[in-house]
Amino acid sequence: MSAYDCPREQDVVNAVLGGHWPDRCNESLVAHAAHCVTCREIAQVSVLLQEDVDHARIDVIVPAAGQIWWRAAVRARLESTQAAARPMTWMHAITGAIVVGVFLAGLTAVWPMLPSVLNMITRAVNLDMLPSPEVTNALAGGLAMAAGVGVVAAAILIIAPLALYFAFSDD
Amino acid sequence: MREITLTDMERLGAFDEAERTFQMTEEAFRTFYELTARPVRVYLARMTGDDRLADDLLQETYYRFLRANRAFDNDDHRRNYLFRIATNLVHDHRRKPFMEVPAAAIAEVPDAAAAAQAAERAARRLDLHRAMQRLKPRERSMLWLAYAQGWSHEEIASAIGVKTASMKAMLHRARQRLVALLKTGAQS
Repeated sequence: MSAYDCPREQDVVNAVLGGHWPDRCNESLVAHAAHCVTCREIAQVSVLLQEDVDHARIDVIVPAAGQIWWRAAVRARLESTQAAARPMTWMHAITGAIVVGVFLAGLTAVWPMLPSVLNMITRAVNLDMLPSPEVTNALAGGLAMAAGVGVVAAAILIIAPLALYFAFSDD
Repeated sequence: MREITLTDMERLGAFDEAERTFQMTEEAFRTFYELTARPVRVYLARMTGDDRLADDLLQETYYRFLRANRAFDNDDHRRNYLFRIATNLVHDHRRKPFMEVPAAAIAEVPDAAAAAQAAERAARRLDLHRAMQRLKPRERSMLWLAYAQGWSHEEIASAIGVKTASMKAMLHRARQRLVALLKTGAQS
């Protein structure tokens, strides 16, 4: 026996839980608890907790077993549906990543050519080699339209897969 | 976020799937639930101090229990596992610092003598609730399982996930703290 326990402590707990403590239980147990600090404490705590349990059980209302079962069954079904949809979510995420990757790769390929194009334009301006104003305006208009179309295409290519990914993601 | 909902046909199918997914049949569950639901609900309410949270945790406890993919030796083993789930859920939700005063504790009683007796009992319960709330969640669980449920040290150790060897010392310390808090409460 350690300093923490007494061989009769379970008897005390059982007497309290059985509703026999202190009047209808073994007199020797009550006498023992009177001078055993551990059993006295246990009796005190058990009586209070048991009183609380008795009181709580009167008021407690639990849902019907069928209701708990039904909710659990529906939730299990939902979770399995979500688990089945998970590969689609992953597919969207991968598609989005591929589109972004392709866009970046294209940009990287075009990037080295930009300085030479800019150079050519600068030289053309310096050498007064610009075409007539009508042609310049038409070119500017065409470039602006092309830029607009390019921005919209890029937006669709990048934003659409991302939007799909977030729309179908679970969390 | 897209909500996945079920059609009526799918709901009906859910029952067939439940029979396959859950670790017990509906009949067996009903029997087990009738035996354990009230003690578990009282335990959850006392550990959280919140009746609505206790209702939610009760559903969650049984759901996790049904989904648990493990074999049980007997009903006691099954019940211990159920309380272990409940204990873990309570510890996950332990945010509420103090327990609310149960409405029933201040309910009216017909005559004066009975009223005085009921008031005395209510005050004792209130002191107990306050003292319990000042204990650590694990201490609360241990004391409840030991002295309100009458579980053995082995059963409590299994339910709250500690070694049986250290159970006696931990329970002793928790009990002494509760008694000291009750004394302090009674004096104040």
